[in-house]
Amino acid sequence: MEKDKRISVQQAAEMIKDGSSLTFSGFTIWRRPFGVVYELIRQQRKGLHLIEVNGGPHTEFLVGAGCVDIWESCWVGHELYGKYGANLSRKVAEKKILVEDYSHAEMMFRFAAAAAGAPYAVTQTSLGTDIHNPEYDMLGKAGLRDGQRIAKSKYIFTEDPFFDAGQQVMVPAVKVDVALLCVQQVGEEGTVRVNGQYYSDPEAARAADITIAVAEEIVPEEFLRRNADQNTIPSFEVDYIVECPYGAHPTGMFGRYDVDGPFLKKFYSETRTQEGFDAFAKEWIHGQEQTSYLEKLGWPRMLKLRANSAMNYCPRERKGGK
Amino acid sequence: MSRFASPDEYGLADLLCCAAAREVQDNEVVFAGTGLPMVAIMLAQKTHAPNLKLIFEAGTLDGRPPEIPTSVGDARCEMGASKASGLYDAFSIAQRGYVDLGFLGGAEVDQYGNVNTTCIGDYLSPELRLTGSGGNPDINSFAKRTVFVMVHERRRFVEKVSYITSPGWQVKQWPGGETVHRRELYGAAYRGGPSAIISTLGVFRFDEEDGHMYLDTFHPGTTPEKIQEQCQFELDTSRVQGETAVPTYEELQLIHDVLDPDEIFIPKAAK
Repeated sequence: MEKDKRISVQQAAEMIKDGSSLTFSGFTIWRRPFGVVYELIRQQRKGLHLIEVNGGPHTEFLVGAGCVDIWESCWVGHELYGKYGANLSRKVAEKKILVEDYSHAEMMFRFAAAAAGAPYAVTQTSLGTDIHNPEYDMLGKAGLRDGQRIAKSKYIFTEDPFFDAGQQVMVPAVKVDVALLCVQQVGEEGTVRVNGQYYSDPEAARAADITIAVAEEIVPEEFLRRNADQNTIPSFEVDYIVECPYGAHPTGMFGRYDVDGPFLKKFYSETRTQEGFDAFAKEWIHGQEQTSYLEKLGWPRMLKLRANSAMNYCPRERKGGK
Repeated sequence: MSRFASPDEYGLADLLCCAAAREVQDNEVVFAGTGLPMVAIMLAQKTHAPNLKLIFEAGTLDGRPPEIPTSVGDARCEMGASKASGLYDAFSIAQRGYVDLGFLGGAEVDQYGNVNTTCIGDYLSPELRLTGSGGNPDINSFAKRTVFVMVHERRRFVEKVSYITSPGWQVKQWPGGETVHRRELYGAAYRGGPSAIISTLGVFRFDEEDGHMYLDTFHPGTTPEKIQEQCQFELDTSRVQGETAVPTYEELQLIHDVLDPDEIFIPKAAK
């Protein structure tokens, strides 16, 4: 009998130790594992190294709460609900966080390399930009490039040795301790079914040493195995499973609920300062757990966000604008 | 043929949206970012380019969303799509050379089309950290043409950007940092570069040989001289063709009644 993979939100957060490297499912403001992200903040996790194909609100929450020492990625913001990552910007200006910039494709290819068990990927993107400026190798400047969990170089230029296609950039595979996924369905044995765009979830799951799938619902494994062509991640790549309905709020979940735009706008406008962040966290995170958080949001709000099952999004919700 | 609207019947955002839509040709593969570019592409799709193929970097390929998605990760992107996939597919498609046109934004631009979306001020001690690169450098590296839509201010059209996030026509060759034409650096992957900047004051294009920006058309209400005042570098105004074409009634009707009725990205002109 296979071990039971089911754990609680609290136990999932406990899997992520101080100083761990961590990545997430989703894309900007979609399918971010907020249930566990909130719990990491409650447990006052320190020294996290986030390695992300792209960041989003969850990044801003963890950075604002002081959980993150290193952020390695390409983008952070709240899309049309907040222009940029105000918390990250503040911590960068105060030199309280190290940022290592890559391009979006470079980060994606670094995850793909790790997922394939390769030490690096080769690409031609971003040639000629300051992303490749050797003066801006921040992990190198901080003396953190140990060749173990952090690569010895940020990138290496090479000439195509096979077809003479010119200059290439080798970028190192990512080394990630834990991948936290937030998905619609997971089976009891760990098979994941993502509906809609799967973003970089398959590569993130495979790249990490420990993969935790947080799902809207845990469903019978046998149900998912009837239509294996619709599944996204195989069971053995997932180490732990968590059931956490509405676990992506305030980000959206294809087919289930839309992004809570007003909530993100409020977060963005109120957390430009550390005092603002602390007040926001006191109200919405500390002293709460997932159920009381949903109670605080209230049913009318959650029903308003609920997706139409034929369209997979919520046709009622006005999306922002004026 | 729909008639052109009169000045009190459209806003600046309408003008930008229509100018951006006119950059799209039918049957092209177009890679679009969130916001005004999305509206522009869908406008082109509903007018002169019904066969354009729309790719969103989060992973939907050849989508036909019935209403404007709020971002490229939005569930709306999937409606009518040829395939729902992920970022590995989207960026591989770009690197493989399928993308004809990319629509991008930026905080700062220099006279060679190098764009900054990373930080304002010294990178090692920035005044403000912006969103970061996202896919801006990737699309600008791989598409045959890229179009930028930008707010025009003197502090944004600069001699030297704070950080080159996305490559223009004259770029840096690392590790030394000497300036070279992008054709030289990209070798077999060279397919083109920035083809237009649509700012809130005019439409700018580039000389593909020396890589310099020049003014193509100026928006109604301004002049080439006034635009020069809003650039920190010397702007080539010798090739200017005249005023930017204004929206037609048909375009305005599509933008406000069909594509963006909630005014999420394009506000209606004040009556």
